[in-house]
Amino acid sequence: MVPVALSKSLRASARESNNADGVDSDSSESLLIAVGNWQDIAAYNKLFSRFASKIFAMGIKLTGNEQLANDLVQEAMLSVWQKAPLFDLDRGSAKSWIFTLSRNRCFDLLRKLKRQPSCVTSDDIWPQHEGEENTALDREEIVSLVTQIAQIEKYCVQLPEQQQAVIEQIYIFDRTHEAAAEALKIPLGTLKSRLRLGLGKLRQLIGVEQ
Amino acid sequence: MNTEINFHPNEKLLDSFAQGKLPAGMSIAISAHVELCNTCKENTSVAEVKAGVALLETSETKSSSEFDHLVADIVKQPQQKNIMVEPSAVNEIHMLDHSVKLPKALAKVASEGLVWKKLTGGINRAELLLDDETQCEFLYMKPGSQVPMHKHQGNEVTLVIDGSFFDELGCYRSSDFVVRNKDHMHEPASEEGCLCFAVLDSPVTFTRGMARLLNPMNRYKFRRATAKQAE
Repeated sequence: MVPVALSKSLRASARESNNADGVDSDSSESLLIAVGNWQDIAAYNKLFSRFASKIFAMGIKLTGNEQLANDLVQEAMLSVWQKAPLFDLDRGSAKSWIFTLSRNRCFDLLRKLKRQPSCVTSDDIWPQHEGEENTALDREEIVSLVTQIAQIEKYCVQLPEQQQAVIEQIYIFDRTHEAAAEALKIPLGTLKSRLRLGLGKLRQLIGVEQ
Repeated sequence: MNTEINFHPNEKLLDSFAQGKLPAGMSIAISAHVELCNTCKENTSVAEVKAGVALLETSETKSSSEFDHLVADIVKQPQQKNIMVEPSAVNEIHMLDHSVKLPKALAKVASEGLVWKKLTGGINRAELLLDDETQCEFLYMKPGSQVPMHKHQGNEVTLVIDGSFFDELGCYRSSDFVVRNKDHMHEPASEEGCLCFAVLDSPVTFTRGMARLLNPMNRYKFRRATAKQAE
């Protein structure tokens, strides 16, 4: 079993090496951000040429079947395009993320092939954001928070800088999620998770009942 | 969730889980444990990083450009801006005097409909068909109940969802992930009552008393259950 401390440092180093600030615009992370935030087709093409052959090799390794491996490339790279806005830098590298998408598609493809019950899908087994789905920010919640703005400003400075920056973009500059992500050069998914964490922390600090 | 969890899947099992190599039944049991256990959640993330490095680094046997024709269609597809999760129809199981909230993966499979059957000794079980390699079931042991002495021809994993049970080797509480290997003979019992999710990769062999009579039936049932899947 990997000790927790080691696992944390592993993930921290994964994060560091992918920190969007100051990373070259050709890193897989930057490309994914471009695909997710403004549907950048050139960036998608680069990711495609970087990963399609690797996903094919992974498919061969896991299924031993060339046709399935071809199908996997199509399904996995489609997922990369569709889910790019959900990519969250705070949860790991582009490569790990693309791996988990490919693994999930592979799992589903194999079950479909073996005609196994459709009640189980990869999304049930590996939820994207454990315990956080259905917490899409509720406008009313936000309004009630914003009415306590004086307090909020006092508490806001106690948040981690990254979360402060996101809250500033959304509530001070009144930007859309997409515009804020672009301004901060982070993936939309990361913006949303930082916003969620930041507002959750604020609620705690202010003592708003959840 | 804050109480101490003493029994976890080992590193090898978590690695296979992260690589997507396990049958659905086993994956569901691990997923449910991981949802309840922060340590295993961390370790699963690490296992996914390792698996990604191992599986996406393999030598390239086909060039990416051979797939270029796929791109035009893919980029026409709409993107997904929010995580969409369909709520499960069933989120909890009602016990005699209280309800138990199920981890998400289990809630999903329980939503397919559970048919509870009474066994001897205060045991109730609801079987599930999830794949063709395992036999899965929810098991409810009433307070003071005991499963007859038995052994397994394969491996058995038991995830404790609520309450506790004990056998010769120890006592297992909520969120514990208990693995019993081939040929291990045991006689689990519960004082306070216990709800579990169990995954078996082969039929159980009862070794004592009237329950022995169940053996041929048991094997027949397992074959039937798995054959049905394979059709």
